[in-house]
Amino acid sequence: MPRVFITGLGFITSIGNDATRVTQSLRELRHGFELYPPFQDPAIPVKIAAPVRDFAMASTDCEDWTFPAPYVIKREILRGMAPHGVYAWCAMQQAITDAKLSDAEVSNAQTGLYAASGGSPYLMGHMLQRMHTHGVMRCSPLGIVASISGTVQFNLVAHFKIKGSSCGFASACASSSHALGFAYDDLVLGRQKRMFVVGAEDGNVDAILPFAGMRALSLQTDPNLASRPFDTARDGFVGTGGGVVLVLETEDEVTRRGVKPYCEVLGWGQSSDGHNVAISHPEGHGLRAAMENALRSTGTAPEAVDYVNAHATSTPIGDASEARALKAIFTTPAARPAISSTKSLTGHGLSLAGAMESGFCALAIRDGFMPGSAHITKLDPECEGLNIIRSTLPARPAIVLNNVSGFGGANVSLVFKQAS
Amino acid sequence: MPEAAPSHLGSNKPFVIPAKPFAPEDEASLREALKRCSPSTFEAAVQFRKTGNPEHLPAVVIGVIERFVEPDLRTKLKDADDDLRLIEDLGIDSLTMMEIVILVEDLLQMSINNDELRNLRTVGDVKTFIDCKVRGLELPKPTKFLPIEHIAAVMPIQPPFLFLNEASVSSSGANGKYKITGQEFFLQGHFKDNPVMPASIMLEALGQLAVLFLLEGATTGPGKIISPNTIFFTGCEGVRAHRVCRPGDILTLSIKPKRMKMPLATFEGAIRVGQEKAAIAEEITMTFGFAEASSQPVMPADNAAKVNGANGSHSPTPLRAAVNA
Repeated sequence: MPRVFITGLGFITSIGNDATRVTQSLRELRHGFELYPPFQDPAIPVKIAAPVRDFAMASTDCEDWTFPAPYVIKREILRGMAPHGVYAWCAMQQAITDAKLSDAEVSNAQTGLYAASGGSPYLMGHMLQRMHTHGVMRCSPLGIVASISGTVQFNLVAHFKIKGSSCGFASACASSSHALGFAYDDLVLGRQKRMFVVGAEDGNVDAILPFAGMRALSLQTDPNLASRPFDTARDGFVGTGGGVVLVLETEDEVTRRGVKPYCEVLGWGQSSDGHNVAISHPEGHGLRAAMENALRSTGTAPEAVDYVNAHATSTPIGDASEARALKAIFTTPAARPAISSTKSLTGHGLSLAGAMESGFCALAIRDGFMPGSAHITKLDPECEGLNIIRSTLPARPAIVLNNVSGFGGANVSLVFKQAS
Repeated sequence: MPEAAPSHLGSNKPFVIPAKPFAPEDEASLREALKRCSPSTFEAAVQFRKTGNPEHLPAVVIGVIERFVEPDLRTKLKDADDDLRLIEDLGIDSLTMMEIVILVEDLLQMSINNDELRNLRTVGDVKTFIDCKVRGLELPKPTKFLPIEHIAAVMPIQPPFLFLNEASVSSSGANGKYKITGQEFFLQGHFKDNPVMPASIMLEALGQLAVLFLLEGATTGPGKIISPNTIFFTGCEGVRAHRVCRPGDILTLSIKPKRMKMPLATFEGAIRVGQEKAAIAEEITMTFGFAEASSQPVMPADNAAKVNGANGSHSPTPLRAAVNA
């Protein structure tokens, strides 16, 4: 079976807009939270978010947007994009440079792109409002393309001239891990030689605040306390946005191009709770099954896992459910991987989460560290027996598991391994 | 006395200044809509909305197009002739065209349907289109793009003496291209070991484009069709050659009618190679006749006197290639 490697990464996130800054934030546990100005209205009970810095995307008019100097995006490209399309576009540039890919290596029948985003509720809302107030024929011709779910791959596939497989994945917070899993499958099946995997989210008012209605957001006002997965006092997640791109390639391509990969993608597993449209199974049955599937299909013993990047979003029910699933997998004294949730630093990126945290795992494996789970003052007793690390360990994990869970009870577990 | 029925209710009636005067809030929304256009565009739009005077339209239309063109291509619009093509020259795709339309609809408070857009290929087409819409005139015939097969099928002139590879014809003129291949028979002798396109042939090419205009673009009365066999050269004025043209050069030809009154049609013409001026003719005049009439051109006495060297036109058996210089 062909082996698959991660050879390039690009990050636009709340904890850094490039791999160097992201690595530093992960190592030093620097979070991306702030009292988010658009939330400081007394009518909004949520105060904290983890916005992307150095991008000004508040306007509905893409020509008002500003982004850091290295990125130049023409109007004709911008007009079909949501804010998260821009984040993904910038991350894509980074990933291509990082993987040292030529234009021909990006654009050919053997190179595809799988992506995930929740669309842009922000631009969708604007467009529909304009349609109702100004008339049906006065909407921006590209309003649909910029706002519906799928916008991120429509744009990247067209603008980077992707010729291979392309598709979007919609399993909410599990989406970009599904994208990565199926990209892996396409490479293993010989359908493609190289896949870009993209996760992105607007992470603005309209993307985050609707979660307040389901009481899923933290109401904390202290940026240092808002996101604290596995802590007894956790009270909901903190929203974030951004764009992350991973480059996956077959071993043949890695060898042919002579590049040094971050790590190997060993395989993946998925499973569904079959339980509730929005609430995790209390015993974590689906996530447990996803991890079992991932370990079985990759021939990995639980004892071999050194680090787990948990999904744990800092919600009371979700974290407890995942803790139970982890305890069901790592049962022997030798199976005691370090566990952390990097959402304690970034907040929850929804469709972005799987790709972003897989990118973090790749950095951890290459650079030899395991990021700590920040902001825990009193560990939830539910986590008893789990090795939840509160500070960064300066050791290189050989095998890493990355979990995500999404609405509908979709669970994905990805396995990464030190490249040998 | 009863008031006359309002005249602006019909869909194709002239733009009428709305009963409600142009209010400060209208100006504010116009300013917002035009915030990325030049100040002169905004001024022209305000003037148009206040007065309804169509003279302000070209500035509005050019200003709106400019706003949607990539900055590095905007210089082309500065000294634009109306032949500047939206897609090929300005990089405007159909989606950008939609954006232009939506803004123009907003500014001029008109609605434009998709079918009307399909025929707009040049800046001139857009200007004419908007002008006709606002004045309530019938829309001009769309620019026709004619491949060589079509040209050869309608022209009285045929290879090896046809000097058009492709052409576009609208009601306001015609544009064409001819590539000097080096295989033209006359280049063997013009000049010895030094092939140069004869200026007379370049003028001939302009004449041929004018013939094509008469056959495909000229507005004639109902039921009146110009017969190919009736068109003959009568004269030209102000011909100047500016550039030596050789094999490999692509001649870009354009003609515009200056006067047309049966049986005479006068055109101005110009040839460019790339951006370089190659030749101009201030006036090229031809006679023409209608198909149902005698194949002989009718020459009323008052006009015949103006024709220089009219013997060619009066020749009982005129040569087809008489359109040459």
